Amino acid sequence: MSITDLIYLSQKSLRSNILRSILTSLGIIIGVSSVITMISIGSGARIEVEQQIERFGSNNLIVRSQSSSNRGVSMGANSVNTLTLKDMEALKEELPAIKAIAPRVSLSTQIVANGNNWLATVTGTTNDYFDLGNWKFENGRSFEEEELASGSRVAIIGKTVQKNLFDNDSPIDEVIRINKVPFTVIGLLDAKGGTAWADLDDTVIVPLKTAKQRLVAKKFPGDQIRSMTINVRSSDLLFKTEKDVDTVMRKLHKISANGNPDFVIRNYAQFLNARQESSRVMSILLATVAGISLIVGGIGIMNIMLVTVTERTKEIGVCMSVGAKKRDILLQFLIESLMISLIGGLIGIALGLGVIFGVSEYFKWKMSLDYMSIVLSFVFSSSIGIIFGFYPARKAANLNPIDALRYE
Amino acid sequence: MININSLSKEYIMGDNKLLALDNIDLSINEGDFVSIMGSSGSGKSTLMNIIGCLDAPSSGEYHFRDNNVSTLNSNKLAELRNKDIGFVFQNFNLLPRLNAQENVVLPLLYSGKNLKERNQLAIEALESVGLKDRVHHKPNQLSGGQQQRVSIARAIAGSPKLILADEPTGALDSKTGLEIMKILNDLNAKGITIVLVTHEDDIANYGSRIIKMKDGKILEDKKNVNN
Ligand SMILES: Nc1ncnc2c1ncn2[C@@H]1O[C@H](COP(=O)(O)OP(=O)(O)OP(=O)(O)O)[C@@H](O)[C@H]1O
Ligand SMILES: [Mg+2]
Repeated sequence: MSITDLIYLSQKSLRSNILRSILTSLGIIIGVSSVITMISIGSGARIEVEQQIERFGSNNLIVRSQSSSNRGVSMGANSVNTLTLKDMEALKEELPAIKAIAPRVSLSTQIVANGNNWLATVTGTTNDYFDLGNWKFENGRSFEEEELASGSRVAIIGKTVQKNLFDNDSPIDEVIRINKVPFTVIGLLDAKGGTAWADLDDTVIVPLKTAKQRLVAKKFPGDQIRSMTINVRSSDLLFKTEKDVDTVMRKLHKISANGNPDFVIRNYAQFLNARQESSRVMSILLATVAGISLIVGGIGIMNIMLVTVTERTKEIGVCMSVGAKKRDILLQFLIESLMISLIGGLIGIALGLGVIFGVSEYFKWKMSLDYMSIVLSFVFSSSIGIIFGFYPARKAANLNPIDALRYE
Repeated sequence: MININSLSKEYIMGDNKLLALDNIDLSINEGDFVSIMGSSGSGKSTLMNIIGCLDAPSSGEYHFRDNNVSTLNSNKLAELRNKDIGFVFQNFNLLPRLNAQENVVLPLLYSGKNLKERNQLAIEALESVGLKDRVHHKPNQLSGGQQQRVSIARAIAGSPKLILADEPTGALDSKTGLEIMKILNDLNAKGITIVLVTHEDDIANYGSRIIKMKDGKILEDKKNVNN
């Protein structure tokens, strides 16, 4: 008896009990949808972390000014700039693990060009900023030493700014007005896309000196800066360097080891780890649900197959009387339980895809659909069907022909 | 074709032993039409089931064609039932979910015939019992006589050598019963051996040989003079 014939016979009897079959596979449905969601959360988190590293560069520490609250009143994040270029030089000097530091001043302001208006974040920095932040140039070039040193009015813009001011035409050598000051565009950055909280391409970058002289002279007097991105030579040194930076900064700012610092150090790896950790916890939770449901589902299948075998004892006798071998009966019931579990698997996959879609829409979590997870679900559900269907099928196959035929 | 030597069948129920077949000797030749009669509980069905390789005797020997049946494993027995033996039961024993054609195809499915061949054979078998226009009817859409004809079609679809009919007319009115007997008679005329169990004399009279049983023993075994 061929497999197609077996499938044909099995689907005949399943169809006569379609609702029962679906209800039976409920455990499998929940189990499989959890498996799919779990894997997708896991690989989504991994991909997101990889993308973040790609976007923000790896091995970076970010030091930001922070209004210290130990004077009693918090003054708001933007009101005080406690970092200076002297801090930056001192850090470079004292810590050989630091490869480069990109300082940053910034303001949010109106940009005018081509008769268009656009509100963008303007950053004043050095060429290190591009290397450390993994920025690539689509067109044009970075700053020349002379431009940095003299405070030239040149600017490099991101894709979003290009789109809104130049309608995607080439912006190179065009003039834009930042706070009414004219700048010449010398470069266009490659798109990085958005994160959940910001559009990274909505940016205009000018030399640090130009910004301090012409755009933010009041906001960042003297050699004050807003933040600096520190690039550490290797990832092993990241955590040690973070501590060292803290120590050096406290010394420079004369803050005791347990005093409230007027700066904050962000370790990007830390954030990424937290993200991975939370998705790992979620995955463990789902794996537990999946495991339990698959076992419960398997027992459900075993139960319904035992009922089916009893219900169809006479039928089994008839089949044996016309020449069914033990193997035929065994396979027929095995395929039936396999089909129930595969139906469950299919519905589970559909449900899982729904959950993935829903979660990624609602939480803005990156969920990546791993095709392996669909294969895995099929493997899972079919093994459940075969494992838990085996005992009832064997029971059917071992029936004595005459006893089965006489069963009422 | 059938050779039975001192064959017994014992049922043990608790402390009671029940001898359903008591030291039976019987041989049936190829082409015979044997009617078995006897009161209820005399062991007719028990004998039929053993002949049909559905049940095993407690003792004694049974040879079917070249096979010593008691030495065969369950696969070989299934093969005999599939290829050489056709059953016709009093209560038809059709599968309710399958239509007439699918019921007839069932034994051909187990013998591994391909789709085209088995559909062909099933249609031919249904045609030969006069059910050409009922192939897609389910058992519950057929009359008793029609259901019995489907089960005869199922029995003959694999061209068996032997047909075992245990009270095939028992659930039918006498006119329909005679129609069924006519079909069995025609099959016997084509050379198929038939063993029939019945309680009715005029049905038994279709046989060329009539066996009477009582209490698990063969009481009488003679040629049918009326045939
Ligand atoms: N599975 C069984 N377990 C115990 N006793 C059985 C079993 N099958 C049959 N018997 C007994 O064996 C005896 C013969 O039964 P069998 O079915 O062969 O009778 P029968 O001649 O076919 O009767 P009927 O004409 O009513 O069909 C009966 O007394 C019956 O009770
Ligand atoms: Mg009987």
